[in-house]
Amino acid sequence: MRALADLWAAYGVTLVFGAVNAVFALSAYAVLAVGVLSFATVVFAGIGGFLSAQLAGAFGWPFLAILPFAALAGALAAAAVAGAFLRLESHWMALASLALVLIGRVVALNAPALTGGVNGLIVPLRATPWELAGLLGLCALAFWRLDGSAYGLAARAVREDAAVASTMGVSPYRLRFAATLISGAVGGLGGAALAFTLQFLSPDTYFIGLAFTMIASTVLGGAFHWSGPIAGAFVFTALPAAMQAVVPQFEDVAKGLVLLAIMIYLPRGLIDPRRAALRRARAHG
Amino acid sequence: MLLFAAQLVNGLSLGSLYALFGIGFGLVFATLGVLNAAHGAYASAAALAAYFLIDRFGTPFAVAGLAGVAVGGVLAVVVDQIGFQPLRNRRSGMLAALITSIAFWIILDSLFGVATDQQSLAFPASSYPQAMLALGPLKVPTMQLVNFALLIAVATGVHLLIEATRLGAAMRAVGCNDVAAALGGVNARMIVLVKAFLAGATSGLAGVLAGIATSNVSASLGEGLLLKGFAAVVVGGFDDVRGTALAGLLLGVVEVFVAQYLSTSFRDGFTYLILLVFLVVRPRGLFGRDSVVRA
Amino acid sequence: MAGAVRGGFLLAFAVATGLGAAEAAPAPGEYSVGFITETTGPLAAAGVSFYRGAQLAVEEINQASYVGAGVTLKLAAKESGSDAARAVQALTQLGADRSVLAATCCILSPVAAALKPVTLNAKLPLVIHGATLPGLPNPPYVTSIVGLPGPQEVKMAQALAEAWKPKSVVYFVNADNEGFQNRFKAARKVMEAAGAKTADVISILSSDTDFTAGATQAIAVNPDLVMVWTTQTPAAGIIAALRAREYAGHISASDAISPAPVYKKIGAALAGTPFPILFSPEISKTPEAQAFVAGFAKKFGEAPDTYCAEGYTAIYFIAQGLKALDGAPTREALADALGKATSIEHNVYGGVPMNNGQAEVSNSIIAQWTRDGKVVRWEKP
Repeated sequence: MRALADLWAAYGVTLVFGAVNAVFALSAYAVLAVGVLSFATVVFAGIGGFLSAQLAGAFGWPFLAILPFAALAGALAAAAVAGAFLRLESHWMALASLALVLIGRVVALNAPALTGGVNGLIVPLRATPWELAGLLGLCALAFWRLDGSAYGLAARAVREDAAVASTMGVSPYRLRFAATLISGAVGGLGGAALAFTLQFLSPDTYFIGLAFTMIASTVLGGAFHWSGPIAGAFVFTALPAAMQAVVPQFEDVAKGLVLLAIMIYLPRGLIDPRRAALRRARAHG
Repeated sequence: MLLFAAQLVNGLSLGSLYALFGIGFGLVFATLGVLNAAHGAYASAAALAAYFLIDRFGTPFAVAGLAGVAVGGVLAVVVDQIGFQPLRNRRSGMLAALITSIAFWIILDSLFGVATDQQSLAFPASSYPQAMLALGPLKVPTMQLVNFALLIAVATGVHLLIEATRLGAAMRAVGCNDVAAALGGVNARMIVLVKAFLAGATSGLAGVLAGIATSNVSASLGEGLLLKGFAAVVVGGFDDVRGTALAGLLLGVVEVFVAQYLSTSFRDGFTYLILLVFLVVRPRGLFGRDSVVRA
Repeated sequence: MAGAVRGGFLLAFAVATGLGAAEAAPAPGEYSVGFITETTGPLAAAGVSFYRGAQLAVEEINQASYVGAGVTLKLAAKESGSDAARAVQALTQLGADRSVLAATCCILSPVAAALKPVTLNAKLPLVIHGATLPGLPNPPYVTSIVGLPGPQEVKMAQALAEAWKPKSVVYFVNADNEGFQNRFKAARKVMEAAGAKTADVISILSSDTDFTAGATQAIAVNPDLVMVWTTQTPAAGIIAALRAREYAGHISASDAISPAPVYKKIGAALAGTPFPILFSPEISKTPEAQAFVAGFAKKFGEAPDTYCAEGYTAIYFIAQGLKALDGAPTREALADALGKATSIEHNVYGGVPMNNGQAEVSNSIIAQWTRDGKVVRWEKP
């Protein structure tokens, strides 16, 4: 029992960050599942995060009251982004979202009234691990339900082959728009979660590092099922700590090598429904 | 007036570096389809290699520079074969390529950090021409003219290579559809290697020149060039070297003028805004050809 | 009678020494001090310096039994790469390790601010060794051995204003580093009060690499003085660019250009550029400073820079706190001792007063590089 408590004291925070990253990864997955690569989640997270920080700081709202607004803000931003970029071809959409992230940092630096500018923003509220677990559970539940619904079916169709899907009556554009809205809402929630975990926001908080983390988590875990990003996020968050325990001098190199190994040997990620199905079929056949 | 001219020259020189990097980047952008995050590392590697040669062995700058360029090319080939070739064989798509490139970026950046003891280095002032040349009333650092001249030379060379030689035709064919090209008798494997080398070498040249211009030889050298170079590719049109060259120059000039006449805080933001506008309004860039993908 | 008095005296003496021998002393043993290292990432060069200073301090403290008889210290290092999330995880792990009595961290203010709630929660004393966000210290648990921006910059600005009487000044400053923003503001206030007009303020970002355009912009307004309040790589680039473009006016900078690798990079262009500094291996002449320089050279084969001194001071500060404890040391008692300290006894600065957990700058020097690579006191030429 004592050992368990000690383990939690040391590594519980890694689980907490893993949960926050899992929410981000789900947001990235929401659009990847319909065939769109986008880094815009970082911007949605930034909007959700700074808004949450201001609501907690200036008005003293509690965690549960702030969350819906973070999600709403993220979704509104996503609507704007979708309207502007969604008609672009996939490569350009990815690059446009990256440019948006870069611009986002410039805005964050130059708008001290909203973001604290270079001095950053102190966040007076802390989210407990249970609250974060609850948030992650809620998102996972939502994705599970979506997956099994008509939306999920349409999403898979559009991802496989958008042209064919449209002949079946599914509008790829409408579906991707909806996916972006979901990504925005979940991203906003993730931003709030990060704000209440770090308790200090700076212009670098919602930037390239976060974009990389969420995309890598999604790819690592597998972008073909909603449980993949969650698993990938926990693995990816634990990676630096694990690498530091094993090879402290070369931990960054080790991290890159692990990523590379996964890309070469398990390119569809850790959780791949197709691989599992094939294995089951082979076992029975 | 003199200030305008001086800043124009600064912008053109800076833009030459962006353009050179962009040319290298654009060569593989078409075949990979998305941002190769490790491309900046080729530039850093070239600069570091040149630095070590000068520092340890005292080689003359031109030789060290050429060696650095070659190192950039070789590194690009190595990364391509270890990282991207397996993906090409499996036709994995853009996401896998992106993550692989990020993995290499992390690895290479770390290795550079270890090699430089985490310090930022600089080419010794004695190793390259330092004097200011007088162009009428305007005084211009010699290296700025060198940068511009090299850009023109390399852009022309690469353009002619791609448009007017058999090798170039083969490269274009492989870029379009490597299976069809192979069926047509092209050694697609060889072409990919040549393209990778050329890409790494041009970006390596940009790296060596940037190392001089910024007095900073380190991993951050490549990162600084990466984003601006890829903006040059997008704004100029990735399938036309002339477009990339012009766009790079344009971006350099715009960046300098925004800082001088608008505000230094918005310098980078403006470049990214231009990038964004182009992506939304005219993704094929200023000079790119409209491509049609048949269903 | 005399014998009785003498006897009484002897008795009193014996009691006194006996009491002296039973004075407060920490229980013998090995205690861990956490160190959040930043030896990878954007600040790696400085991070390595901070850590080396700390390593030397631990070695010296153990050899001299500075904390007490039979007491040794050990560094428990965890890498953060200057990333707030990783630093939070690192500090939490240190907090969970009961053998860690205190920790020291942070070059960047956002990271320090993110660690503050973690350390208060874990009741682990945290000593900040690099970040300068005002309001960070929160005694007893959060203390800082770094002087806040202001005093050294004001002192140098006043000296320069008097010596050079500049009529117009151009400032270079990091838009994304609040420590340098505060230094710049302190200097500008002095300059403007002395009648030097602010001709331009050129913002740069820490990740910027090209400064020719900025240098051209600065030179165009013909300033008498260019003050460079930026982090190390940009500062080096800006000064090199200004001199390469044949700017003949005065330049001043910050201690970011003090480490030797900067001179190795830029060379003679740095000469004659004054900067305020608290510790320099060539100038600081107190016995502790000299011993520090000699010890560092012996252990690492090169001279220590100002960041090494800060890492060194942080560990000695913690050791000082431990020294004042009695019996088995606890985090609460250590925090109490650190929060109450009025000065740092063993330091290389010639005195460091502590006020409510915040170090105060008392002896800043104005230094400069010479053409041949030595750091000397700046004197008006």
